[in-house]
Amino acid sequence: MSKVKCDHCHLEFSDDVMIHDGEYRFCCNGCRGIFHLLKDEGLESFYSKMGDTTLAPPTEQFEASTNFDTPAFHERFVTTTNEGLSQVSLVIEGIHCAACVWLNEKALHKMDGVIEAHINYTNNKARITWNSQTLQLSAIIDMIRAIGYNAFPYDASLQEIRANKERKEYYLRMAVATFATMNMMWIAVAQYAGYFSGITQEIKTILNIAEWVLATPVLFYSGWIFYRGAYYGLRNKSITMDLLVVTGSSLAYLYSIYITVFEKGEAYFDSVAMIITFVLFGKFLEVLSRKNAADTLDIIGKHIPREVSIVDGESIRSVDVNEVKEGDVIVIRSGERSAIDGEVISGEGSFDESNLTGESEPIFKRIGDKIISGTTSIDALIHYRATKDFAHSTLSNLVNLLENAMAQKPSIEQLANRLSQHFSSTILFLAIATFWTWYFWPHSFDRSLMVGISVIIIACPCALALATPVATLVGLALGAKRGILFKSAAQIETMAKATMVVLDKTGTITQGRPEVVYTTIHEPFDAGALHTLVSSSKHPISRGVMEYLDRTEASIDAASIEEAREIPARGMLGRHNGSMIAGGNALLMEELGLSVDSVSDKSLFYYAVDNRLVATYELRDLPKEKAYESIASLKKSNLRVVMLTGDHDLAANRVAKEVGIDEVHAHLTPEGKAAFIDQAHSEGHIVVMAGDGVNDLLALAASDIAIAMGNGSDIAIEVSDVVLMNDSLTSLAEAFGISRKTYGLIKQNLGISLVYNSITIPLAMMGYVIPLIAAISMSFSSLLVVGNSMRVRWMYK
Amino acid sequence: MDSWVIAMMLGASLFLGAIALAAFLWGIKNGQFDDETKMMNQVQYDDEHELNDAANQQRKKEEYRPE
Repeated sequence: MSKVKCDHCHLEFSDDVMIHDGEYRFCCNGCRGIFHLLKDEGLESFYSKMGDTTLAPPTEQFEASTNFDTPAFHERFVTTTNEGLSQVSLVIEGIHCAACVWLNEKALHKMDGVIEAHINYTNNKARITWNSQTLQLSAIIDMIRAIGYNAFPYDASLQEIRANKERKEYYLRMAVATFATMNMMWIAVAQYAGYFSGITQEIKTILNIAEWVLATPVLFYSGWIFYRGAYYGLRNKSITMDLLVVTGSSLAYLYSIYITVFEKGEAYFDSVAMIITFVLFGKFLEVLSRKNAADTLDIIGKHIPREVSIVDGESIRSVDVNEVKEGDVIVIRSGERSAIDGEVISGEGSFDESNLTGESEPIFKRIGDKIISGTTSIDALIHYRATKDFAHSTLSNLVNLLENAMAQKPSIEQLANRLSQHFSSTILFLAIATFWTWYFWPHSFDRSLMVGISVIIIACPCALALATPVATLVGLALGAKRGILFKSAAQIETMAKATMVVLDKTGTITQGRPEVVYTTIHEPFDAGALHTLVSSSKHPISRGVMEYLDRTEASIDAASIEEAREIPARGMLGRHNGSMIAGGNALLMEELGLSVDSVSDKSLFYYAVDNRLVATYELRDLPKEKAYESIASLKKSNLRVVMLTGDHDLAANRVAKEVGIDEVHAHLTPEGKAAFIDQAHSEGHIVVMAGDGVNDLLALAASDIAIAMGNGSDIAIEVSDVVLMNDSLTSLAEAFGISRKTYGLIKQNLGISLVYNSITIPLAMMGYVIPLIAAISMSFSSLLVVGNSMRVRWMYK
Repeated sequence: MDSWVIAMMLGASLFLGAIALAAFLWGIKNGQFDDETKMMNQVQYDDEHELNDAANQQRKKEEYRPE
């Protein structure tokens, strides 16, 4: 049977299974529906644009699109533009080709209320602006779904928008600067040729005027950033690099105008443009790698549930968290996160408290037990009475503390900043001194002025301005290749200076999930039945046993179990081939009338068949691979390594001994961890903290450098400065190596530019610097710095 | 006389260059370079339909005026 292409998705199927519709063939009704819709809308040219690509056949099941019209959704995802239009950012699913982008934009543009739809092909993100008075968002979503795609919202965070805007501004300024500087270079070729072989004053003036025209936008448009920076620096009473750049280039500019008008000497317009362009590029590299603390808080806020369901007489309704009063009865379903502290009044089930306590095992809650806000219900449907209002609940307290901690985050002064301040003031002083010395020596006014300016120009800030950004960029790239993401370039230097590493236990040093470490088989049994039994539970212990069986048993036959049920906080029961099977903890065994020896510092899982114990599994949370070696290498690089955990002493000490950590603090609350770090600060340590959970948040925020594990909680990743994508401790050690290497590189680069300046500045002060030398030295010093950074990059490959 | 030729050529070439620069800046501001993949494909979608569509969108935008 021959294969035929579906007329919509272009996937091939044999002809007899296709839906025949006149001359067309479709693989499913979904494809047929979309095909006819496009035809009716006059969009069938999509298929010719699509070319050879195939589409995924449409899925039929979506959550109701009316969810997109709720006030809660709008508050979170929809923004209002200045003109009063609504705007939403969506990720469009199912985009395979440029034609898909075209189709989506086209279909949306055809809708009446849609003012603008813009889809980014690279990341499939769409920005849609529409008039909410005439069109519901759900209608837009329905349209996207109707043509065979799906859309879900994402938060276009403030950070992203602001960063994009700033980047665009830099692109514009850099485009102008590059254009002018490049054109100036070929004019400069004529100038230099004339300098050596003779040139009439008339031609020289023409060239000067052309350079003047080109230099003006560079100085005042592209260089505006530096004027702004210098102004803010002066207002804070500090002499910044910006000020040096601004004085140097403005003086050179004014002097060159004077030269051009009075037709004597050499103009320096090309130097003005070169300085601004080079330093602007350096500054741009810095901007590329910077993050904003305020935006982090926005994101944390979004992780707090905004609404809760409360019981109101017979009915259940959603209310805003802030409206909940003490004594209200709140319903929490499985999978939901609690926002308010309270006490259970009916129902029972397990809660995941690992977020707050670091305890990896779920906690079983029954009537009378406390519910802590921020914990997640695993399988419980519970009614509980609020004992506090939202503002006083644990979760919002935590967020408040976090806000304070972020605001007070210590900032380690950056070497380059400190250096450039001294450098700038020294150079300005030297230039003024040179001018007066020459003037009183005695020389003519413009000769003295020229020498004075040449000091500022030759003290080329380019190399200094490029030293740090180029080196950090190399460091960032090296890290990124190894799955170490530094969120901001400045962190590299702080990390290199760190003296203390604080590690969280669960999920950072250990894997965060229990594994079988020891097995005792009392009697032979059917592994298949046990596998089926444990796979029916989501409890981490059952998961651990299941993974162990998958790993060790050669073949597991799925066994059928009747009457399988889970007994909360105990284990599972079931019936297999007529015999009763039970797997669970000591409590379950005791209830079955079995006495087991349950004294162990590990978690024990018992398996019994027909009330006879057949196997015992010991499980525990094992340290990650190469944990010992990584910690040894951290210690070797003179770091004090400390482990903090909310877990009990016994478990903490054993893990610490295994991985070779001598200093352990157990039984710590989230606040306790943060307090420990503050304590270390007061002892003068620069602290790096690595953690993964919400219980580490405060400590992460308090530390100088916060490192999050890539599979940790979203909030932890948000608060952190460095993310380890592969979760391993090896990359933690590597992160230190890279940051130290990069810091070394920064120091080298700064050294190069300082040595360079200490040679050229005296020459300039003596008046030996002719324009040619100034121009060459300018590029040469920058090339040295860039070359030096590249060298490390090649070495480290 | 000779120098005026040079001045004229300099002026003319800088003027032409400036036009190109202005167009480039306009493109950046317009977001035409935001999406590199789409930009490369754009050439496939510039027939009459697209022009009409763009014009329609423009009109829609202008028609909408909040009170």
